[in-house]
Amino acid sequence: MAAINIQKLSKDFSGFKALTELSLDVREGEFLTLLGPSGCGKTTLLKIISGFIEPTKGHILLNGKDVTKVPPEARDTALCFQSYALFPHLSVRENLEFGLRQKKVPALDRKDRIADVAEKLGLGPQMDKLPNQLSGGQQQRVSLGRALVMRPSVILFDEPLSNLDAKLRDQVRLEIRRIQKDYKLTAIYVTHDQAEALAMSDRIVVLKSGQIEQVDTPERLYAAPRTGFVADFIGNANVFTGRVLPQKTPTIWRIETPIGILETGNNAGTEGAEITLCWRPENAEINDDGALGGTVTSKAFQGHFTDLMVETKGVPYRIQTSRTDVNEGDTIGFNVPGPSVILLENAQ
Amino acid sequence: MNRLRLNNILMALVIALAFIWLFIPFVMAVLWSLVDPSQPWTADKLLPPAMSFYRWVNMWQNSSLQPALLTSYTLAPSAAILSLLLAFPTSFALGRIAFPGREVAKTLCLLPLVVPPFITAVFFTALLYRLGLTAWRPGAIIFAHAVVFLPFSIRILTVSFETVRQDHIDAARDLGAGHWARFKAAYLPALRPGIYASLLIVFIQSIEEFAIAFIVGSPDVVTIPVLLYSALGQDYVRPNAAVLSLILVIPNVFLMLFLERLLKSANPTLASGKG
Repeated sequence: MAAINIQKLSKDFSGFKALTELSLDVREGEFLTLLGPSGCGKTTLLKIISGFIEPTKGHILLNGKDVTKVPPEARDTALCFQSYALFPHLSVRENLEFGLRQKKVPALDRKDRIADVAEKLGLGPQMDKLPNQLSGGQQQRVSLGRALVMRPSVILFDEPLSNLDAKLRDQVRLEIRRIQKDYKLTAIYVTHDQAEALAMSDRIVVLKSGQIEQVDTPERLYAAPRTGFVADFIGNANVFTGRVLPQKTPTIWRIETPIGILETGNNAGTEGAEITLCWRPENAEINDDGALGGTVTSKAFQGHFTDLMVETKGVPYRIQTSRTDVNEGDTIGFNVPGPSVILLENAQ
Repeated sequence: MNRLRLNNILMALVIALAFIWLFIPFVMAVLWSLVDPSQPWTADKLLPPAMSFYRWVNMWQNSSLQPALLTSYTLAPSAAILSLLLAFPTSFALGRIAFPGREVAKTLCLLPLVVPPFITAVFFTALLYRLGLTAWRPGAIIFAHAVVFLPFSIRILTVSFETVRQDHIDAARDLGAGHWARFKAAYLPALRPGIYASLLIVFIQSIEEFAIAFIVGSPDVVTIPVLLYSALGQDYVRPNAAVLSLILVIPNVFLMLFLERLLKSANPTLASGKG
């Protein structure tokens, strides 16, 4: 059974449509990420799930029960805030205990649950400190712990790592994932960071202007984006429009794009059709006899690869290569292997 | 180097001014209160020729100082609490609810302070008589003080309400807190300094207020300022007035220090940025 069913959810903020007829099922025990640029409605959706915003239309079911009108204090969800929102006048222990007291959990049970979470998160030595005596990473952990002790059906994360520095972020990211698996929690995670989404999620929901653009596993989302928006938002992509040429063989389609003719085994449709396609920068193979070619306009060495901006007939695109012998101003030839050409839906 | 010197000079100047401004009047009041009636303190002498506690003892035993003290120290805390209660809903609205014209409303709430207190007192008293609210005079004074000093309370509490963090309220709610628990966990720690400050300021204002207390209260209710004005006006006994003004000011100084303490102890809750 799905932990959460979201049915045709819409939210208008005095004329601004934050969400439009959005439907989504979240499976039990799954780590689902809501990903999108700012203003795409991901935070609004999270706040509707937690109960802080009431939708204009639509329903939301938690474990099969309609909770659309249930206020946050009575909803079996727990939210991890971007700002941590720890009570500054309460010690770590009192912060962890707060929710349990509200739910009138017996004292012995409270102690057990807090001890368990404190151990899992390594908060032992911090239990009697005030939040402002803790580092950002520790505060983050207390905030996670405060949600975990509630043992909610669903745990919600509102960009919880955005206030941490890069190194710590990687570490806490793994920790959140480990704990989510340990407790077999259903988790919904909001972020605008595609790397975070790819690294943590079972499934990713890509949102754009209040609607779902695509829902899939990280691997499939990367390999087979449905639209140019998804292709470009998850990783890098060179997106082009093209026209289908007469087929070369029954299994090879040829497409004319602004940078030259691409060949692919993917069914591009009938001759003359206008299509949108993309390919990943790392899939181009630099080769002096390549079918395509361009001039390198800039070069950035990234360690394990080199990022090249290339131009063909004034059209810029990106190529990533492990070769280090290419310089700015060079003219290079390259191929885009057929399987790497991803055909997209025309609507951008 | 030059800057440091300038800083030192300015600092010395500030200390000197503070000394002239605060300390000298205070010392003068103390000295005047100790003048013994046997020998007057004339302008040619630096210190009173004879000093004793006669005035203090005399005032304590032979004037209406004792009932006045009781009256003042009953009225002032009552007015402070009433003013706080009256200010609470307004401040909540001004500090936490977004509505068109909020900034204008904030200014309007402060406007009564620009009117000279005596004018407010006279007209407010007239209004109280009109409304027939003077049947119980101490009650009328409490009400009048609470209303007249309301702008202070509203202003202070509005700022406090603005410092309450929405994510704390939301977090409390998300963890299952009802209205009271939410207030205690998210609002109260941020409001506490403002509550203390509001109570203290209205208390001090009320303790020192003369016009309303005099017009509404006389002749039954006598507060310390009323006594002080009569010592200065009717009878013009400067040593007695000095005794009274010290009685007014000394508790205020202690209250001020006490408040400072409370505000300091409440500070960590405000200071923690990401808390």
